[in-house]
Amino acid sequence: MNRRRAPRRISHSQRRDAPAGGGGGGWRTRTEEQWRGPGKSQVIEGDTDERHGDEAVPRGTCQTMCPARELRDRQLQSRLHRFEVSAGTEGDRRPKGDPLRVVKEYSRPAAGKDLTNPADLRPAAVLLKTVCYLVDDIVASPHLHPWTEAYSFAFDRLRGVKQDMIIQRVSGSTCVAILERTVRFLIYASYRLCGEPLRLYDPRINDTHLQENLSWLLDCYGAGAGPHANQDELQALGLLYNLGSARATQHVMGLPSRLRSSPAITLALSINRAFLERNPVRLLRLARRLNFLQSCALHRHLVTCGRDLLLIYSHGFSSRNCRFPLDEVAQLLSLDASLAARLCQAHGVAVNRDNQLVFSKAAFTEPEHGKLHCKLYHGIVAERQRGLGVGNLIHGSA
Amino acid sequence: MAHVTINQYLQEVYEAIDNHEGSFCAELLSFKHPHVVNPRLQLASPEEKCQQLLEPPYDEMVAAHLRCIYAVSNHDFVEAYKFQTLVSHKEENCCFRVCASDNRAGIEDSKKWGMMFLSNQLFKIYFKINKLHLCKPLIRAIDSSNLKNDYSPAQKVTYKYYVGRKAMFDSDFKPAEEFLSYAFHHCHRSSQKNKRMILIYLLPVKMLLGHMPTHQLLRKYDLMQFADVTKSVSEGNLLLLNEALAKHETFFIRCGIFLILEKLKIITYRNLFKKVYLLLRTHQLPLDAFVVAMKMMQLDDVDLDEVQCILANLIYMGHIKGYISHQHQKLVVSKQIPFPSLSTVS
Repeated sequence: MNRRRAPRRISHSQRRDAPAGGGGGGWRTRTEEQWRGPGKSQVIEGDTDERHGDEAVPRGTCQTMCPARELRDRQLQSRLHRFEVSAGTEGDRRPKGDPLRVVKEYSRPAAGKDLTNPADLRPAAVLLKTVCYLVDDIVASPHLHPWTEAYSFAFDRLRGVKQDMIIQRVSGSTCVAILERTVRFLIYASYRLCGEPLRLYDPRINDTHLQENLSWLLDCYGAGAGPHANQDELQALGLLYNLGSARATQHVMGLPSRLRSSPAITLALSINRAFLERNPVRLLRLARRLNFLQSCALHRHLVTCGRDLLLIYSHGFSSRNCRFPLDEVAQLLSLDASLAARLCQAHGVAVNRDNQLVFSKAAFTEPEHGKLHCKLYHGIVAERQRGLGVGNLIHGSA
Repeated sequence: MAHVTINQYLQEVYEAIDNHEGSFCAELLSFKHPHVVNPRLQLASPEEKCQQLLEPPYDEMVAAHLRCIYAVSNHDFVEAYKFQTLVSHKEENCCFRVCASDNRAGIEDSKKWGMMFLSNQLFKIYFKINKLHLCKPLIRAIDSSNLKNDYSPAQKVTYKYYVGRKAMFDSDFKPAEEFLSYAFHHCHRSSQKNKRMILIYLLPVKMLLGHMPTHQLLRKYDLMQFADVTKSVSEGNLLLLNEALAKHETFFIRCGIFLILEKLKIITYRNLFKKVYLLLRTHQLPLDAFVVAMKMMQLDDVDLDEVQCILANLIYMGHIKGYISHQHQKLVVSKQIPFPSLSTVS
């Protein structure tokens, strides 16, 4: 071979650190990340070791919710959360961690940090037990106040669970069971904490993580062999949460017809269709058939729905002598008269002395940014809960 | 080629690149060449070897191609497809940038002539992997180029086809109609298959603008799936429309036009209500008449509230000129043009 130059030095840091035998591994992992997208785990089941050649997949051995090393470290540094502290030691200078309550926290990956030590990783079965603990004893607990704190704790610890799953490339029914609970939790939280101050709850961060978990879950459904007992429920929730999105609609339309004809997905598709056709009357009528969790998923779109109704009525009924009864609008929106009046006024629709609305296309305005009208609709969602326990809600055993 | 070692193969690739032997190099990366059955080239991790002997981006490209061969030999066709698509994408993209920035050569030799061809290839890939937003920079580059009208007719047709489909996806129906019509009319008479492909996307756009295709056209291009859809929209027959969409659902979803065809529902409402207006011959139409019309379409769950909502939406969108009087429970329409023609709206 007539080489005119010396073999090129490879400058990727992974390659420098990688052992001689597994030299290709680092490069391969990088490009697989690029091709599959960050955050998506490999969902190929079985024989993962053979597929990835020299590089073995990390397998966790930690049988507790928190690895012993982390418990020790955090205890020493007084970095235990108040939910993790042993009863009676809260006032101590160094409170003791209760091994039955300490949960491994999320740790941001960084250069030089080795997250693959098996003693620090929890196997899939332990992860599922951890999630159940978080749901039953933190999220659904009637004793932990305020709920924003329970949410923050559970949010972070669930993120840690997801991280362990990604590192170990967990897939299959355990992965699905964990993701389903995470998605249901985040959807419930998106309703329950709606309107809380930003320092306690950030809806955009909740949304980002919800979309990531949902996307991974839908991948699992698509890739793995079924049957997935809750797939119709979760697909419907995904569509309701992402109402009107072309991507979400196209995805659901591409599902096998047997799945698509399930009651939950049929209803979600009809509501989605009504939204795309700008038919808020039909949408709100169909939405009455949703259960509590589905209403939580839908609830942030109710604001757009109400606004659409007032917009098209402002044009459709626009005339000098227009008199439209406030009660009728209130009934369409499932709101009581005073809330409906507030909503109308925020959109520039005048309410006269006899509780009649004067629609005028010139008068309609978009409400001031920042005025949170979402809470006006919370009553509709709240009444669906009807004594349903939060734990059952998230486990899906409702 | 079916017996060479990996080193010999890579040496051939290197020399082909060095000597600018484009077509030979292409063969070495193609699946129609005998080298793909060579067991000595079926390596799980060829990256190191490729990086040792080839410069970027060729090292990644060839490595991806070799991984593809390996995947195929293991009958893992999903993996194989992914790698081969990546090969095309990478080589096209950097080639595109090279072509676009070619300022040195004169106009006859300029690499800019390669721009449209490459754009078309990239469009194909982006549509397949469903990342349409990546088309935008390419469209911008071609639009601002001074050569855009001088490319060959075939290239222009392909270009307008993809740009038209992108516009459709963005709900810009007027430009979409322009692009797709151009593609359809300038497509060579003998390419029946291509003309049919263009029509699949042109038809929904035209229907949304109020132009229905004739039966002859549909029969000529074997697109009878659209026949019932067309008929129901122009008659204002919602029942038939729902049936037609359901019957050919799979075909429409596969082509990615199902969601756009659902938009025809609004046009269908408009046509149905126009019929009511023409029947009653008055400018003050009782709302009940519309409820009855809906019931005739077997839409029993559409009550007065919903009818008012649908009418209000049609007025908002400009399909009906008039207003609804709640007190008199009537739709009062303009005496001039109560139902403006579809091509003038939106």
